[in-house]
Amino acid sequence: MAQRRELIKGSIDSLLLCLIDQQPIYGYRIIKELERRSQGYFKFKEGTLYPALHRLEKAGLIRGEWQTLPSGRQRRYYHITEKGLRSLVTERSQWRDFLAAMNLIIQPEST
Amino acid sequence: MLTVLSNYLDSVRENLRLDRSLESEVIHELETHIEDELQELREAGLSEEEAANNCLKLLGSAKVVARQIYEAHSQGSWSQALLAAMPHILFGLLFALNWWRGIGWLLGMLVLVLSMAVYGWWRGKPTWLFPWLGYSLLPVVAAGLLLLYLPEGWSWVAILFYIPLALWLLYSITVKTIKRDWLYTSLMLLPVPTIIGWFLAVEPVNKLPEHWLQRIQDFAPWMGLTFLALALTVATFIRVRKRWLRVSVLVVSGLITLIMVAYYTNGKLSLPAFLILIVVMLLLLLSPALVERTLRHTGQQSAA
Repeated sequence: MAQRRELIKGSIDSLLLCLIDQQPIYGYRIIKELERRSQGYFKFKEGTLYPALHRLEKAGLIRGEWQTLPSGRQRRYYHITEKGLRSLVTERSQWRDFLAAMNLIIQPEST
Repeated sequence: MLTVLSNYLDSVRENLRLDRSLESEVIHELETHIEDELQELREAGLSEEEAANNCLKLLGSAKVVARQIYEAHSQGSWSQALLAAMPHILFGLLFALNWWRGIGWLLGMLVLVLSMAVYGWWRGKPTWLFPWLGYSLLPVVAAGLLLLYLPEGWSWVAILFYIPLALWLLYSITVKTIKRDWLYTSLMLLPVPTIIGWFLAVEPVNKLPEHWLQRIQDFAPWMGLTFLALALTVATFIRVRKRWLRVSVLVVSGLITLIMVAYYTNGKLSLPAFLILIVVMLLLLLSPALVERTLRHTGQQSAA
């Protein structure tokens, strides 16, 4: 469990950038989407999502914007920035290389 | 919102130590998250109380969330670090380049320091303000000390009017700074032990003013060096994210600058004076944390 937590912690920025790249999204929805798409694998303390979002925003990779819904409730939607898009391209390519290398070792081709 | 959740948000707010606008934005965002979470849990059939307790569990520790958000925002840019270090650099140059003898330089410094302090205070107290604020209070203290040297009778004017007024000003600025974040008070008071150390080494008591001036002249390059060391400390403080690292930077720097004062004055600062200065330094840098706790406790009691 602790190992999984460490893995999630190391990849949270990439996960967030990927989700935000697909559509502007707010914190609560991010948690639900991560859980749904990973079939429950990505589950973490919800409060710790916001430090990660704020860190990405401070780095200029995403931008938060308050929106008022027709119901009158407000939500902070996150949008990806140009810098965030560039960073995501690099991170995706690094992930592909990493996964390919891991697979070569974990699932070696039978000779 | 239920009391447990309000308490959770209050606890996050207390530990955030960010500026007011950012703080309310963070709290509002968490509030909207809690509202969504509660609605979903209620729709799943949980009672109000069960939903609130589940929500708390899902959110995790308020202190951890606040600390991590603080660390996301705490690091200042290099330009902010330079701006915060600037009063120490200028003070260092004042001595290192012997500008302290020119009244023009002194007046220029005074105007600059006061202007920056007023501007920063007016602009919502950004982190770079506090070193400037510390230096802006120096003339207030210095004027009080000089008034005590006035001819007999006049020093009573200082004791009765000026000193209470100056103390009130110092107290009110310190309390306001502590309410923002006690670490900024420590940042503001950082040069005080060094200044006291040099003041003691110059020995301005029972000697002629020419003697003090000569002493200052002799020590000036080393005085400059200690203030430049403080500038480096402030720049490091602004650039690090973690609070415990910030506290360590201040304490270690306070210790190093006092050692520098003792070393460069060739024994003019006695061992007892040096040890007392270390205690004063620790008190000045760390007591704001206790004052902050007391102020919060008092605030909570009066709110209850």
